[in-house]
Amino acid sequence: MQATQAEPVHLRSTPLARAGAAGRNETSTVSPFRYWRFCAAMGPTFLAVFIVCWGLLGYNIPPLSAELTGEQMATHFRTHANEIRAGMVGSMTFAVLYMVWGLSITKVMETLETDGNNILSQLQLWGAGLTVVPVLVSSSFWLTGAYRPEALDPSILQMLYDMAWLLIDLAYAVTSMQMFALGALFLSDKRATPLVPKWVSWYSIWVGVMFIIEVLMPYFKGGLFARNGWLNFWIEFLIWFFFIAIVTLYIFKAISRLERERFAATAKN
Amino acid sequence: MASARGEATVQTPAILTFIVADIAAFGLFFAFFMIGRGAQVALFDRSAALLNADVGMLNTLILVTSSWLVVLAVDGARRGDRRTVRTFLALAFVVGAGFAVTKVIEYGDKVSHGITLLTNDFFMFYFVLTGIHFLHFLIGMGVLAMLWFKAGQEAVDGPLFGWIESGGLYWHMVDLLWIVLFPMLYLLGRR
Repeated sequence: MQATQAEPVHLRSTPLARAGAAGRNETSTVSPFRYWRFCAAMGPTFLAVFIVCWGLLGYNIPPLSAELTGEQMATHFRTHANEIRAGMVGSMTFAVLYMVWGLSITKVMETLETDGNNILSQLQLWGAGLTVVPVLVSSSFWLTGAYRPEALDPSILQMLYDMAWLLIDLAYAVTSMQMFALGALFLSDKRATPLVPKWVSWYSIWVGVMFIIEVLMPYFKGGLFARNGWLNFWIEFLIWFFFIAIVTLYIFKAISRLERERFAATAKN
Repeated sequence: MASARGEATVQTPAILTFIVADIAAFGLFFAFFMIGRGAQVALFDRSAALLNADVGMLNTLILVTSSWLVVLAVDGARRGDRRTVRTFLALAFVVGAGFAVTKVIEYGDKVSHGITLLTNDFFMFYFVLTGIHFLHFLIGMGVLAMLWFKAGQEAVDGPLFGWIESGGLYWHMVDLLWIVLFPMLYLLGRR
């Protein structure tokens, strides 16, 4: 059945090929890569907003110790309510950018899924999209605490802060799924010079594996594995931040290369 | 064949990113352990004495033997000998499985005596470090099984060679990490 088709399966099946075909037939001025760089730029934008709003304004870099009493937590919310409100509003507004960034990665991944099997690029996108949820929901918990802290019982404020951290840390698996899918697909790249270097794939997979350390966080209120500990906060968040920066850099490079290859092929035809 | 070897050479150094990053992370864990130990030497020594060094030694021998069998599998792959590759990968898996058996017995024994990762700082490190290592071990066993199946389907000196070599490197890393963990947890401070 497939052999009777005029065009090979992989050319019909990839969105890039469809976009390319549309470009040839309808207008040669429309690039099939439009919006790709815009979406890729949303990764660093998310990161910058996340660090400033969630981290600095929200007093989450570093987190408050789980050993603080309810009264100390209440004092924190009551003293810094306005900064926390501003930070969490920014964090909730811009959280969606992580999914937009994930879409740019998926577009590049789709160019390698030449057999029409797009499971990995879709898993990557779902992972990026679902990563938005814990950022969004946990930010809403911190925001709830800062909304009327003077009227809330200290133990409730403590619970809101704990809930937010338990959610954002323990939802690691959705982001790990994004990292594994991305890594697995780019490792299968058969080009002599891969579109994305293989070390980037291995780094992504490693970060996804390292996130498992978060499962220890609920057992500790102080020390290395507590929410503000060296391992569970500083190392885990830093390697995620580096993941975003490194992948963005190589996605930009991959888009430029795909563009050059496409224009060279068009010129030849 | 030349192109397949070309792919293999691209594949092999790439996994070194994972291995170097992982060893660096474990290096950090080891440093934190030593800092913790420095602050509570007597407690760490007392707790280490509760571990069974013979079982630790047995685990070391299991992993070293399994690693050696993987070397023989990689050597077979280099010669394009599918049968040798599959035989030694299967043996490496079976021998390696012994590590899981002894570890489960060891964990079960500790928990049955009321010792958990919350008992004290030594056992926190013991359960966390050996637990993370055990996770790496399970991933490695999955890799060995996957390579065994793949070796039955395609040429072992083609594109699969890079994966066999990478899998072998990963398995050696699991072995290497245990070789540091064993004396650090089981033998240090033991009288």
